Amino acid sequence: MYNVWENVLAEIEQKVSPANYSTWFQDTSLLSSTDDNIIIGVKNSFHIKQLQTKFIDIIKEALNNNHLPTKNISFEVQLTNKPKVRAREVVATPESLKTHVSPLKKSLPTNNSGLNSKYTLDNFIVGSNNDLAVAAAKSIIDAPGTRYNPFFLYGGSGLGKTHLVQAIGNELLKRNPDFKILYTPISDFYADFVNHVLNGKGKDFNNKFRKLDCLIIDDFQLIIGKDKSQEEFFNIFNNLHQLNKQIIVTSDRLPSQIKTLDDRLANRLTWAGAFDLQLPKFEDKCAILRAKADLMGAEIEQEAIEYIAENTNTNVRDLEGELSTILLMSEVRGLTPLELIQNGSASIHNNSKLRPTTSKQIAEKVAKYYNLTLKEMRSKSRVTNIKTARQITMFLLSTELSMSTTKIATEVGVKDHTTVMHGIDKIKNDLKLNFTLRDQIEEIKGQIYG
Amino acid sequence: MEIEVTQEKLSKALNNVSRIAVGKVTLPILNNVLIRVDKSKVSLITTNLDMAIIDYLPVSSSKDGVITAPAKLLAEFVSNLPRGEKVKITSKDNKTTITAGKYSSTINGSPADDFPELPEIDEKKAVVFRMGVDEFKNGISSVVIASSNDLTRPALTGIYFDTYDKTLAVAATDGYRLAEKKLVKNVQSEISVIVPTTSLQEVLRSISDDMEEIEISFNEDLVRFRLGEIEIISKLIDASFPDYRRLIPKDNNIVVTLDRDELVRVTKLAALFARSVSGSIMCETKKPNTFSVKSIATELGKNNSSIETEVTEEGKVNLNSRFLLDALNSLDEKTIIVEFSSKITPVVLHNKKNQDYTHIVMPLNN
Repeated sequence: MYNVWENVLAEIEQKVSPANYSTWFQDTSLLSSTDDNIIIGVKNSFHIKQLQTKFIDIIKEALNNNHLPTKNISFEVQLTNKPKVRAREVVATPESLKTHVSPLKKSLPTNNSGLNSKYTLDNFIVGSNNDLAVAAAKSIIDAPGTRYNPFFLYGGSGLGKTHLVQAIGNELLKRNPDFKILYTPISDFYADFVNHVLNGKGKDFNNKFRKLDCLIIDDFQLIIGKDKSQEEFFNIFNNLHQLNKQIIVTSDRLPSQIKTLDDRLANRLTWAGAFDLQLPKFEDKCAILRAKADLMGAEIEQEAIEYIAENTNTNVRDLEGELSTILLMSEVRGLTPLELIQNGSASIHNNSKLRPTTSKQIAEKVAKYYNLTLKEMRSKSRVTNIKTARQITMFLLSTELSMSTTKIATEVGVKDHTTVMHGIDKIKNDLKLNFTLRDQIEEIKGQIYG
Repeated sequence: MEIEVTQEKLSKALNNVSRIAVGKVTLPILNNVLIRVDKSKVSLITTNLDMAIIDYLPVSSSKDGVITAPAKLLAEFVSNLPRGEKVKITSKDNKTTITAGKYSSTINGSPADDFPELPEIDEKKAVVFRMGVDEFKNGISSVVIASSNDLTRPALTGIYFDTYDKTLAVAATDGYRLAEKKLVKNVQSEISVIVPTTSLQEVLRSISDDMEEIEISFNEDLVRFRLGEIEIISKLIDASFPDYRRLIPKDNNIVVTLDRDELVRVTKLAALFARSVSGSIMCETKKPNTFSVKSIATELGKNNSSIETEVTEEGKVNLNSRFLLDALNSLDEKTIIVEFSSKITPVVLHNKKNQDYTHIVMPLNN
């Protein structure tokens, strides 16, 4: 249903002025459509009358062109919280209150939480790629529901998102045995919701979540498109947040990049900031391998660890995979891991990323990413996007190829190395705060290495 | 369209509605005021799409029609005309001409068709409250101070209108303090809605001395305030307000009765020494009869004032002096009551006689 509405909007956009479009149409949505009736959702009641009187013909035409009913068009304000106005229905507040004041039920089966006790903070290796996230995790364990609520954790697959959030859950449970925690991948959340609705128990579903002290949602990016479960999640999110209950969400990208995600929800998810897990650096990889080997009780030479670390550039999961393969082989063949590597029997699976061949390749990929030609990017233009592209090229040439600033200057066609140094510093600084930029650079890197 | 009206009346109405007609760059028509004459009934309307102000203007003569013109310009022009002058507004082809004796100007307006249609309250479904303007004004002003302007928590940027125990209460909190006022008793209807603080501030500004009653009508997504000739319509905030009554501690073991003016004085004195430590002052009770306020500024010196009063229990608590002063200013009786129970529980303040108003200040921990 979403797509149809997008089409309708696209059509309307061409017929009304941009100011009118952004004021009146931008926040609309299609709430429901049956044979004769169609309900359009709007931001607030100030919009209804206007759409009804001034724009109804344009809307009708656009609906018609998209084979939607035009007989009864009605508009509704989308309310996430049903406000009480004379409604005498029983509100669940007293209940949520009760669970808040008396969480002293002893018979809480912890295995209901969906947590796997093998994930702990002790076996999560902290490095510069994840120290911020771990610091936040620790502060959540000390004081759940306060500073980092919601805790939004994102990063590529195999970097330890699940491990970290499960570790938070396990630790919270250890310290507060009466805590009600639920860990669920968003897909299970969705399936559960559908089940409840099918059995006519939608309310129970909501209540089940209202009683939680901590809710952990994994792989949130998979919510894409499921707008009904989105709404439900939004309600649950609001309820828990109001009660200062800890909410933890992981995703492989930022909410703003999940295309069909409701803006309000996207905003709320990153209220307390977004924390990312990045690819580990060489030192971090060595530390991870060392810790894993110790955990398995295996002996491995430092050189062997460094070899694996150097040749695996994908993610932590692969790193662990390589390590266990080598350890297994060394056990089977009766050789130490280093001997195995030295006589060439251990070939690292070649899904690892290769170093890019040339500086030209980097420049080309950056230019392509920003829809520029190489010539445009190398020009002296001060237009913001060209300038940014140039600075990102400088940054990548420096970090990826360790080129000297003088060399970079000739490569991108700027006056001297100080401009390059400034450019690199600018990007480095921006990276600290600008998540979009960070993701863009990751994407470019992906294209370079892919 | 044509109207004729005295300068005073027109100027007042224009000033009243033009306050919200600013700053919308995306839709310039929102900077305009719409003047509509329909069967001799003249209304001046502005909106920013979150709220709208409508002023019904009594005029001496009129002809039906609609115009829009930049609100600020019109307001300033009219307010600079000599008092007592009869002002005549006429329109032709989107041009608005204002004449007052020897003064005349023509303003280029926009087609009135571009002006947004306003939402209307569904009277059948509406929950309506009526009360004296003074009660309303005092009640709302006493809680507005505690409302937040942190847009990331939309629920707190409004005033909560909530019915419980057959009472309509208004409440606001920014997370550091909380104020609640019981506004109307013996109500039958039930509501819990959040009205944007900015809209309520407009309502407060629109109140003038000659008004006696205010009528408030709520729909699920809309509220309308009627005050004499003025109508203000506002959207409601779509969020759920925290269950604030849980925050108000009951059974405080330290209860102190104090003279409000005296407490204001010692708090102000202590605040002078508390600037370097984010306004933190310490309130302490000592048996048998001392309530003291202390503050220490490491480089500057320190302050210690005490008030003699009956003390039930000994204890102390750190507070932000500014929040305490705000709370004291919202109380209006000579004698007030301060209650708390420990260093980490909120401090409750209320008037001694009329306990409809409750103000809570969260303690600082240091």
